[in-house]
Amino acid sequence: MKTDIRFTHRDLVEKCKSGHPGSQYKLYSLYVDAMYNIGMRMLGNKEDTEDIVQDSFIDAFKNLSRFKYQSSFGAWLKRIVINKSINHLKTKRIPVVPMESHEYHLTEEVDEHVDVMDISKVKKGIAQLPTGYKQIINLYLIEGYDHIEIGEILDISTSTSKSQYHRAKKKLVELIQKL
Amino acid sequence: MDNFEKHIREHATEFDEHKADTAKLWENIAKELKTEEPKVIPLWKSPMIRIAASVVLLLGLAGYIGMSVLGMGNTETQYASKELLDIDMHYKGLVSYQVELVKNNPKLSDGDKTEFLSFMDELDEEYEQLRVEMRNNLDNERVLEAIISNYKQRIALIEQLLQQINESNIIKEDYGYTL
Repeated sequence: MKTDIRFTHRDLVEKCKSGHPGSQYKLYSLYVDAMYNIGMRMLGNKEDTEDIVQDSFIDAFKNLSRFKYQSSFGAWLKRIVINKSINHLKTKRIPVVPMESHEYHLTEEVDEHVDVMDISKVKKGIAQLPTGYKQIINLYLIEGYDHIEIGEILDISTSTSKSQYHRAKKKLVELIQKL
Repeated sequence: MDNFEKHIREHATEFDEHKADTAKLWENIAKELKTEEPKVIPLWKSPMIRIAASVVLLLGLAGYIGMSVLGMGNTETQYASKELLDIDMHYKGLVSYQVELVKNNPKLSDGDKTEFLSFMDELDEEYEQLRVEMRNNLDNERVLEAIISNYKQRIALIEQLLQQINESNIIKEDYGYTL
């Protein structure tokens, strides 16, 4: 019998809700590396990432009573990390979406004959992307959000998210091809 | 979704390249959680403690009622002392049994045992003083309440220790995470 993914670590979460310190640490241990990597992808530096991850866990534990298993605990926590990261970038006036016009739409597909499937090259390509492009590529390709969710996270429309993503993907493929 | 996107999403975990400084982050998180939220000891969580606390309550009430009823007669002091003797008998047995359990528990470190026993000694001293007060019949009701409080502290102490044992017994059932 398959357990609903939303209830992953339910026992642990419930113990944390009752303020059990051992369980809080256990839950933290399970998710800290994943959250740290999300932060590093979004923010790009260790210091800011540590601050954001710390704040996210503190907020999560303090507001755990509001977590009602509408998603998995990991997805809920991940959203906290991402929202905090985006807010952090905004306060530092770092663009979270590309600066160009939002109306431009791209429909062409990626040329798969070129070696764009090499993950190490993809990593290098993403690292070279401008910040605005990087966020949308991370959110869609790696974090697995859809354009409706990205619209909510970045405070843009779904269609803008789609067009910006296609633009970013095109740029990414160009960069990978040059590697 | 094209093959390029599918390929990256399928290999998303390969983008987790970093390791968080787990201890450092937790230190800050724990500090923040402690200062903001004073922890309430879940005294009623353990069935053993529930039973022990119920016994304390019943004996306390029995003693109190007995003294109130008998207090109307002329032999007040003698009967009050008798009630106290009854409570003593029960509690000494209960506490000494718990102390033995702690002494013989292989899962507890020597440091924990020593700390526990030194607290118990302090409470014993306080208890002896309360008994003297009771004999002097200065204020039976208040002294009885203080004695009950003394017992409760002992039980809280035992509960803390049980919690430590339980923590060390946590099975690694929640390995891994889901985002």
